[in-house]
Amino acid sequence: MVLGELGGSITRALQAMSNATIIDEDVLNECLKQITRALLQHDVHIKLVHNLQTNIKNIVNLHELAAGHNKRKIIQQAIFNELCKMLDPGKPSFTPKKGKPSVVMFVGLQGSGKTTSCTKYAYHHQKKGWKPALVCADTFRAGAFDQLKQNATKANIPFYGSYTESDPLKIAVEGVETFKKENCDLIIVDTSGRHKQQKDLFEEMRQVAEATKPDLVIFVMDSSIGQAAFDQAEAFKESVAVGAVIVTKMDGHAKGGGALSAVAATKSPVIYIGTGEHMDDFEVFDVKPFVSRLLGMGDWSGLMNK
Amino acid sequence: MFQSIAGKANLEKADLEPALKALKDRLMTKNVAEEIAEKLCESVAFSLEGKKLASFTRISSTVQTAMEEALVRILTPKRSIDILRDVHVAKEQRKPYVVVFVGVNGVGKSTNLAKVAYWLQQHDINVMMAACDTFRSGAVEQLRTHARRLQIPIFEKGYEKDPAVVAKEAIQEATRNGSDVVLVDTAGRMQDNEPLMRALSKLIYVNSPDLVLFVGEALVGNDAVDQLSKFNQKLADLSPSPSPRLIDGILLTKFDTIDDKVGAALSMVYISGAPVMFVGCGQSYTDLKKLNVKSIVKTLLK
Ligand SMILES: Nc1nc2c(ncn2[C@@H]2O[C@H](COP(=O)(O)OP(=O)(O)OP(=O)(O)O)[C@@H](O)[C@H]2O)c(=O)[nH]1
Ligand SMILES: Nc1nc2c(ncn2[C@@H]2O[C@H](COP(=O)(O)OP(=O)(O)OP(=O)(O)O)[C@@H](O)[C@H]2O)c(=O)[nH]1
Ligand SMILES: [Mg+2]
Ligand SMILES: [Mg+2]
Repeated sequence: MVLGELGGSITRALQAMSNATIIDEDVLNECLKQITRALLQHDVHIKLVHNLQTNIKNIVNLHELAAGHNKRKIIQQAIFNELCKMLDPGKPSFTPKKGKPSVVMFVGLQGSGKTTSCTKYAYHHQKKGWKPALVCADTFRAGAFDQLKQNATKANIPFYGSYTESDPLKIAVEGVETFKKENCDLIIVDTSGRHKQQKDLFEEMRQVAEATKPDLVIFVMDSSIGQAAFDQAEAFKESVAVGAVIVTKMDGHAKGGGALSAVAATKSPVIYIGTGEHMDDFEVFDVKPFVSRLLGMGDWSGLMNK
Repeated sequence: MFQSIAGKANLEKADLEPALKALKDRLMTKNVAEEIAEKLCESVAFSLEGKKLASFTRISSTVQTAMEEALVRILTPKRSIDILRDVHVAKEQRKPYVVVFVGVNGVGKSTNLAKVAYWLQQHDINVMMAACDTFRSGAVEQLRTHARRLQIPIFEKGYEKDPAVVAKEAIQEATRNGSDVVLVDTAGRMQDNEPLMRALSKLIYVNSPDLVLFVGEALVGNDAVDQLSKFNQKLADLSPSPSPRLIDGILLTKFDTIDDKVGAALSMVYISGAPVMFVGCGQSYTDLKKLNVKSIVKTLLK
């Protein structure tokens, strides 16, 4: 995964520091400068990067470190902790249970990959013996229902939607009720793309959530998004109870650092990543192994279990 | 923060550094790609080094002025394309003017194709749409919906057909029925996806369009640089033609989603040298504007 490059850059910066004979303020600053640059090249929100820099500097007070302490170790630990804090919100997301009906609502910016990911998510569970169903509550985008319908048909998953009804609220409620009666255990509600500047559409999203009472709201975001990711993710979180994130288009070249920022803004974990346009281009994402893979080279291993 | 050193002999790199660093940070806050922000600062440093500072000016404002000039220079198109004029020239030659919309997945190609169609209609130009995204679910119906709403003819052959062939047939049909413009929709594709990029360069080679329009979203971060450079590079490397067609212009979408983070516009133009011909700023047909260079520069430096 391309995000792994970030791990490489950070490790290199620390290596350079390790090679220095004396670790003084200059060495620390140079190391932080390189880490900062790597994070910014990966689209991590600039505010988060600056916070991280300040926090590390505060923790690593070079003058107060008594002689004999392992300064390098302390600096590494500080960087490790700060990165973990950014990536890991510390609480797992709601996990639907097979056989017990759950409603999962997909939200996100225009074109982020919601409809595609809805089907992938349904298909992923269907393969494991679930009974998923798809509800198309996007009555806005041209061809939205056809898109969901064609995807669902390919995967042999029941779907609900309408060519004529223009009220997403009505369709969402009817669809969820229909599939509850049919004993589906994973009812997935796809919604239109929207952004925070569209106040009325945010209100509509809030109403759909209120009416369908989703057990989980998944925020879908494109891995190529830049500095706007944080504010948008935060706005979604403020309007609906975002509980998890799916990062899409990880098969591209984008470094996915916007995802790090979104995680921080939504305080929710990334649970899956999209890696292509096909139904099974979908991978489970686990924060802990990811962090260890990101930083899990040589020197880092000792820090993992603390 | 930066003291005035008016009267000091010549500006040295070290004098400029703090102001440049602050400026680079500001550009990146506005979503300019790191690589581009760095290059810009280097070129500003290069242009100022060894110059004398005018009396009573601060280094920070000297740097800011130099940057402003650089930004205006980059964003002001070197090659200008006047679509309406070119459409009329083509019309006189009795052949349709062909525009191909290309770009990565989900950036807004199809929607903004419809907006461009509407804009052309407003100028009394007969438009035809060609549904050459024969891959993504719902892509054909999506375009058909726009065609119906705008009452524009659409050429479509359903899914799984070779898009290069569909485009060719669409252009033949347009020639027959006297359409002035053919707008060709293509499937989204990742710049690293070799087979899909090869298919795109084939479509362009086979149909030699008048305009290859790269659609990129204003939300994109550092990937903007990679998208544009790789699209150009792949179109060049994978084309059967010895003189391949590259990106002619940029359509920047989702400008309404980014507040003041307008940097993608700069990254895209800087890396490709292609002009931003349209800016998409919403989801209805009228949400299509021209790039306002002054206001972009002002926002970037604010
Ligand atoms: N390469 C790649 N393309 C993807 C991935 N996920 C989605 N896409 C593509 O991205 C484009 C947009 O996806 P959609 O699922 O329509 O996005 P959406 O969020 O539902 O869009 P709106 O409903 O218009 O807001 C389509 O071309 C998808 O095929 C992925 O993981 N990799
Ligand atoms: N806010 C906003 N949304 C836009 C704009 N342009 C397009 N969109 C939305 O972005 C989403 C994707 O647009 P499409 O036109 O389907 O994108 P595409 O590039 O054709 O997608 P693929 O063909 O799947 O690669 C839709 O929900 C559009 O309504 C814009 O300027 N502003
Ligand atoms: Mg959708
Ligand atoms: Mg499209």
